[in-house]
Amino acid sequence: MEILIIGTVRGALYSLIAVGFVLIFSVGGILNLAHGTYYMLGAYLTYIFYTFVFGMGGINLLLISAILSVLSVGIIACLVYYILLRPHIQSLLYVMVMTLALALFVGEVMSLLFGVSGTRVPSLIEGSMSIGGVKVINQQLILIPITALILPALWYFLKKTKMGQGVDAVAQQRTGAILMGVSVETATLITSGLSASLAALAGALIAPVSSVVPEMWLFPLIKAFAIAILGGIGSLAGSVIASFVIGYAEILGSFLISEQLTELVALVVIILVLVFKPSGIMGYKLR
Amino acid sequence: MNVLEISNLTKAFGGLKALERISLSVQPGEILGIIGPNGSGKTTLFNCITGFLPFDSGSVIFDGQNIQGKRPHQIVNLGLTRTWQLVKPFFGMRVIEAMMVPSFSKRARSSHFSKKDEKENVTGILRDMGLGEKLWQEVDNLSQGELRLLDISRALVTCPKILLLDEPFSGLSHKETENISRVVRNLNSQGFTVVIIEHRLRELMKLVQKVVVINFGQKIAEGAPEQIVQEPEVIEAYLGKRRLKIGVA
Amino acid sequence: MNLLKRLAPFTQNQSPFGLLILLAMAVYPPISDNLFYIEIIKLAAIYAIFAMSWDILTGYTHEVNFGFAFFIGGAGYLSGILSSLLSVSLYLAIPIAALAAGVSGIFIGYLTLRLKGPYFAMATLAFASILYKLSFIFYEITGGEEGISGLDTFTDDPTKDFYVVWGAMVAIYFVLSLYARSKHGIILKAIRADEDATQSAGINTAYYKIEAFAISGFMAGIGGGVFTHSQMHIGPTMLSGYLSVIVVLLAMIGGMGTIVGPLLGAICLSIVNESLRIVEEYRIIIYTGLLILFIYLAPDGLINLKFIKGSRLLSFIFMGDRKPT
Repeated sequence: MEILIIGTVRGALYSLIAVGFVLIFSVGGILNLAHGTYYMLGAYLTYIFYTFVFGMGGINLLLISAILSVLSVGIIACLVYYILLRPHIQSLLYVMVMTLALALFVGEVMSLLFGVSGTRVPSLIEGSMSIGGVKVINQQLILIPITALILPALWYFLKKTKMGQGVDAVAQQRTGAILMGVSVETATLITSGLSASLAALAGALIAPVSSVVPEMWLFPLIKAFAIAILGGIGSLAGSVIASFVIGYAEILGSFLISEQLTELVALVVIILVLVFKPSGIMGYKLR
Repeated sequence: MNVLEISNLTKAFGGLKALERISLSVQPGEILGIIGPNGSGKTTLFNCITGFLPFDSGSVIFDGQNIQGKRPHQIVNLGLTRTWQLVKPFFGMRVIEAMMVPSFSKRARSSHFSKKDEKENVTGILRDMGLGEKLWQEVDNLSQGELRLLDISRALVTCPKILLLDEPFSGLSHKETENISRVVRNLNSQGFTVVIIEHRLRELMKLVQKVVVINFGQKIAEGAPEQIVQEPEVIEAYLGKRRLKIGVA
Repeated sequence: MNLLKRLAPFTQNQSPFGLLILLAMAVYPPISDNLFYIEIIKLAAIYAIFAMSWDILTGYTHEVNFGFAFFIGGAGYLSGILSSLLSVSLYLAIPIAALAAGVSGIFIGYLTLRLKGPYFAMATLAFASILYKLSFIFYEITGGEEGISGLDTFTDDPTKDFYVVWGAMVAIYFVLSLYARSKHGIILKAIRADEDATQSAGINTAYYKIEAFAISGFMAGIGGGVFTHSQMHIGPTMLSGYLSVIVVLLAMIGGMGTIVGPLLGAICLSIVNESLRIVEEYRIIIYTGLLILFIYLAPDGLINLKFIKGSRLLSFIFMGDRKPT
């Protein structure tokens, strides 16, 4: 039972992160190695807003801090795209190197500002519940309903709204979208912000119950990779499913084998899938 | 013996039959044209013959050898070379460097005695093609027609027995097309067997001795150019039921 | 007369600028007695080895190896483990480690043959990350967070050590330059431009790709082993993503696909990095920030700048390009 609940929480967390990662790759062709950094900034900025701007004044202000943090990260991501990535976006190497360098840079800045041992962020919802005889921390639990709200909202955005349909078109069939007059740059800009915000949201939500340290950007990134490859780049549904698969696999692994080896799970998955089936489970065919 | 013998070649992509029991033979020293509307499977045929695409059934016998399952470079080293529909230049290199690449193949290396010989062979080919002046030019600076000639030149470096040209006239001016035709005729007179896929029917018909027509993955006609253009199935394949006058002389 | 003829390939078409750098480094120790700076240049030379080894694969095939720390740290650790646990002499340990790295290159090269673009990059990153994690899991052998210390250096004299490292760098520079100008390099460039067309030219592209991977790995392995013993220590940073990225940045800023470029990039930037130690607290941030700035301004690298390529004189000075008359 514990496995089920924690696995679901993890799956929800990962899907928030992975969906953004896959989206920005399908739409903008950007392999954003700073995606984990947006997740990290979601956590750190919540702390910064709450502690320095609002002087730790209570739950409501904490909530506002979280929201501000998510919005700020979205804006930062748009700026990063517009200023740093757009000029040389056709070179995959440039994009990868630039985003990874940025990730390292921000990591170092955080390390300098707040130290290697990290900081603490208070929970939005204190306490814990008992489900089926298992004690679950509330802060972790809220990820599930929030994700359950956000993902369908995202789907609705992409399929039903005009702006979203434009973005979706670019992701699925770039040339067709261009011919129909959709601006790829605008779509990529919107997606950058959106994708980063999702990651930041995940970071902000998980911050109270996870360690907020300068290296916290790396593993979510690797997992987002693994999920994207497993679920197929270009398929949002695939990423969501893969997120849960990896979430459950990790929990099972940590119960059955050992905690440390579960980190390897994601990595080994990446290699196995890449070597044997590069197009993933539900993704589009590799050209 | 036929230099190339294709029997009942079939290739399907999922449910779509790209090639259906295609059979054709190429005799040594002939110039064969393969024509057909867009999407009829011509390039797929080339890709299967040259090892870039595995086929489902049938056989391809080159020079008496079954080449099914062989990798593309192995087939080239047996003497079957191709060019591509879209020119494939080696950007970032000079013409002479680009020409050296095929000279590193097993086949080219076993047919010359020394590096000096090879260099002369390569420059000779370029001169015959009319690219003699461009030896040290960057490939990036060549015109479309010159790139096509370079593609064919590179193919020649591998000392092929048979040359497969995929739409060599595509994208070229009339003058450039005539140039390529002249080159092909020259090669043929030196003993090269050539198979050409083309869309520019007027120019092609003047060049080839025999024509094979493919539509929807099937061979629908085969014969001399003058006959082929009269065949109702061929005209229908291109134009529906209307007639077209294709000059042959 | 015969000797001159055999030396010809070594001296023809070499980049004068590259030779100048090598020479400048060699004459520095006799001129200056400052051990601190000699150490800096020694470290720069090691990073040059890393950058050049990386370049021979990615610079010439454009398939981005994002997990280069695998070879560097992998060989570094292997050499360190052989020395400390099995008391193998470093003159044996380093070649063994390099060989292991080269063989891994064959293995990884084979597995990633059909991968392109982002998938290839991801796979190499994954391999490096796995090795990184393993170094913590097997902390009994690898020393975990602290790594392995107390290893032997080459000689007792830091200046002599410097020349050993310099010698390795020079040897690797010449080997890689020759490799790049040989048929292997030309074929790699052709594969980079168009792999299908290269196969149509009768070339077994899989072989050359794997070979380049192996050589890249082997050279990096030498660099890793040399690093380990010259610093007398190896730690998980040498397996980290940070190292992989730094190597990529050094090679890119210098100019990919030239061998001279990475040499230049590594030497200059490493000197900058070490010189920043006066503001140690902010060093990494400033350094990384500078690298980001450089990449933004000159993504193709310094050697590949348009004004150098356009000018015959500069082309010759930096790249050793000579058009025959």
